[in-house]
Amino acid sequence: MSERLEVGIDELFVVNVARTIMDRTTVFHGVSSPIPMVAMYLAKLTHAKDMVYFGGVSSAVDPNPPFLPPTTNDWVMIQGRTAMVTVDKIFDLAQRGELDRSFFSGAQIDKHGNQNVSMIGTPEKCKIKFPGGAGGCNLSGDCVNYTIWTTRHRAQKKGDRKFFTLVNKCDFVTNVGHVTPYGRREELDLVGNGPDWVVTELGVFDFDEKTKSMRLRYLYPDTTVNEVIDNTEFEPIVHPEVRVMDMPTREQIDIIRKIDPLGVRKLEYPEQELSRRFMI
Amino acid sequence: MGVFIDRNKLVTMDKAASMIKDEDMVAVGGGLCMREPIALLRELMRQGRNDLHLVGTAHGFDVDFACGGGIVGAVQETHVSFEQDFGLAPNYRRACETGRVKIRENCCNTIIMQLRASEFGIPFIPVRSIKGSDEIKLHPEFKPMVDPFTGKKIVLVPALSPDVAIIHAQKADIHGNLKIMPPYVADVLFIRASNKVIVTAEEIIPEKQMIEEGPTIPYYETTAVVEAPFGAHPTSCYPYYAYDREHISEYMKSAREGAEAFREKYLDKYVYGVKSPEEYMDKVGGKAKRDRLASWKEGRESWMELFSYE
Repeated sequence: MSERLEVGIDELFVVNVARTIMDRTTVFHGVSSPIPMVAMYLAKLTHAKDMVYFGGVSSAVDPNPPFLPPTTNDWVMIQGRTAMVTVDKIFDLAQRGELDRSFFSGAQIDKHGNQNVSMIGTPEKCKIKFPGGAGGCNLSGDCVNYTIWTTRHRAQKKGDRKFFTLVNKCDFVTNVGHVTPYGRREELDLVGNGPDWVVTELGVFDFDEKTKSMRLRYLYPDTTVNEVIDNTEFEPIVHPEVRVMDMPTREQIDIIRKIDPLGVRKLEYPEQELSRRFMI
Repeated sequence: MGVFIDRNKLVTMDKAASMIKDEDMVAVGGGLCMREPIALLRELMRQGRNDLHLVGTAHGFDVDFACGGGIVGAVQETHVSFEQDFGLAPNYRRACETGRVKIRENCCNTIIMQLRASEFGIPFIPVRSIKGSDEIKLHPEFKPMVDPFTGKKIVLVPALSPDVAIIHAQKADIHGNLKIMPPYVADVLFIRASNKVIVTAEEIIPEKQMIEEGPTIPYYETTAVVEAPFGAHPTSCYPYYAYDREHISEYMKSAREGAEAFREKYLDKYVYGVKSPEEYMDKVGGKAKRDRLASWKEGRESWMELFSYE
């Protein structure tokens, strides 16, 4: 029997995101997406070998980069490719209903999967300006499905106040979830079906069929249902069979370490999260 | 848009910048930290240009720098950040949060479709997304409506024709033919949709050589050409150079300190106090820096090192 291996939250998280990618599908990640970047490359090299892999804004088809860089628009990401397309062709694919998956995050995420990547305040009186959704507003409507990720689920305490990422209501909806401020997805004639998975550093959620609200499915070995509830402003639905997620295989971990020697998968975490280690 | 048939379009940086007017809508080429026309932005700052309306997709250094340099009045980009590499864009945030620039944030495919409408010579185009998003609040010009053919909800967006596109290309000839290497991001769309196209290029090559290599953009689509080696620095312009993390790191430190510090420590040093491209090159590290940024070609280890540099 081989020895046990210590893995980090960053590696477990990447595997969780990779698990949302199916073989023989078309998949794209956008800007500011180091975790989906690693997860997509991992999926392509393991369980999704026939995935059509669009590696970021640089829009190479099936790239084979020598390592993963901390930016999504660099010549590193077009190395070893099959072909180049221009980024507008990926948006065309999505608008035709043929882009199977993408990945979005937000400074605020509500229970229906709407996300705010734009601002706190109003356009006239903006308190905090976030970077903006890039293609998210379009692709969250058009992609067949998408994965939401955040490494900042854990609420921040400042004095007696708690600041949540998973909020009751987004100050501004950039990317659309299942029930938007303007109506439900089907009432809006959107092309895609919306988010189907939410991966956070505290757990993994899917969406309840009836209410189209986030439902806790999996925990990490070191998190609990109560911890997830305490760190979520809305009351999440808890699946009756909620359990600890399956651990990654040694092969998956070896590949992650090989394709991501710079550790871009670690760039998104608050410092204290990265000390979380697990044995497999 | 526009047909330009002058035989010799070569101009100085100074002249090129003077073709861009206050309040112009400007499409800035490249994206994030790649192939952005930074030398031209520096010249616009020296000339004291004001209230430019920037449009584009996912950008980074260029837009943040232009906001910090005080030449911007509105931003219609879809995303402005240094990704998880250096994080949020300090000058852009400050400009939005103080009301110095108008927030006209847009979304990538919406902008692409608007540029296409302009390229196609049609007044508007339907988009199937945007519905459900508050992005519509930022754009009263978008018209949600019912598709008369299928009865489904769609959004009409107007054609977008920037006054000028500013593009940094790898190669150009004096006739205006361009060789741009992929990824193009939105550059080709910007060129076809804008009223004027001003190009800075790493190299000006003879027309005969350009024809042999095969231009990406034919001459009649460009208005003016400037020779600008190192013209995208500190963003990347492969195969000549990768992006300069060391320089961007210095930039970020002063930008995060505040508007005053940014002016004193960055703009005075690298923009206002610089008289020639040679002087800029020396200030940012000269030949040693240039060689270092070209070392990505030597293989995986040296390329990785350029990304680890603080």
